[in-house]
Amino acid sequence: MTPAPMTTPQLFPPLPRRAALRAGINASLPLMMAVIPFGVVCGASAASIGLSFGQAWALSWLVFAGSSQIVAMQLMASGAPAWVIVLTGWIVNLRFMMYSATLAPHFRARSRPGRWFAAYLLTDQAFAVTLARIIEGREARETAWFYLGLAFSIWLFWQIASVAGILLGSFIPATWSMDFVVALTFIALLVPLLNDRLMRSAALVGGIVALAPQLPFKLNLMTAALAGAAIALLMEKIWMRPSSG
Amino acid sequence: MDATLVWLIIVALAAATFGTRLSFIGLLAHVELPQLLQRALAFVPPAILAAIITPQVFPVVQDLPTLDWPRLVAALIAFAVAFRTRSTVATVSVGMLVLWGLQAVPGVTGLSYS
Repeated sequence: MTPAPMTTPQLFPPLPRRAALRAGINASLPLMMAVIPFGVVCGASAASIGLSFGQAWALSWLVFAGSSQIVAMQLMASGAPAWVIVLTGWIVNLRFMMYSATLAPHFRARSRPGRWFAAYLLTDQAFAVTLARIIEGREARETAWFYLGLAFSIWLFWQIASVAGILLGSFIPATWSMDFVVALTFIALLVPLLNDRLMRSAALVGGIVALAPQLPFKLNLMTAALAGAAIALLMEKIWMRPSSG
Repeated sequence: MDATLVWLIIVALAAATFGTRLSFIGLLAHVELPQLLQRALAFVPPAILAAIITPQVFPVVQDLPTLDWPRLVAALIAFAVAFRTRSTVATVSVGMLVLWGLQAVPGVTGLSYS
């Protein structure tokens, strides 16, 4: 048997499986105000650049990661080569590695199919809410069931919203400037991340580099992401060194 | 774009994305993510989100970012709304209403997109 990953003080009596699942589903409901509009925007972005219903639907099932889907659609529309589209989308999703590493100890005791399914369902929102639960000191087994209820519920609503967006996206006239909805949605995603100087610097650098003269192969977005992260990392190294002991 | 190529891109992006999600939960369950990489990964989301926003606010025309007043004003107001409300729906609705409002004003000509 795998040993328990952490010996956190047991502040709460562990919930039985059904109750933990239900708690996860309940915790997903307040997120729907963010999940549903984003799903609609992502579905619409695929339909609006001319993907077939099947392609757009496959994107939301198989990729199931909104920001990277939108990035891929924009690059596709701008005529970027396939490898740039995939590589840039992958960089957008690298954050999942960080989430995966943080959650891994709580899934060590689960079966392989269970872990693979949990991995498939991993999203920003599912991670953030589960992390808050872990910090509370909940037991690993209960956390896994809570996560399942939460993440599956997000997945389900996202898929419904995506289909609505795909159907909607092919009808909206271009004169409505609906492309700007993407920018506004991303502003809503970005603002909560700007809580310290380093995150703000990463955003500033990324935003400015993206406006630089066009690089070959539409590599601007990827360069912007890497430059923003690199500068913030460098600033952290410079500032943290004297104080850290 | 050729339909087969679109499918290839979808499948490749799906595999790459699933790989990032599966990495530690499914494959490297007993490996720790190096601290430096963990910090770097935290900085990618703000950088990439901002990188997607700015070209929509300052549309790049012939390699140069241009000033599009309706978009800039709408984006700034949306930023303020996002700070205050933390609501996607409020941010998008207010931003779009401001944009449409400004575009309807005679004389304020934003760039039009096909």
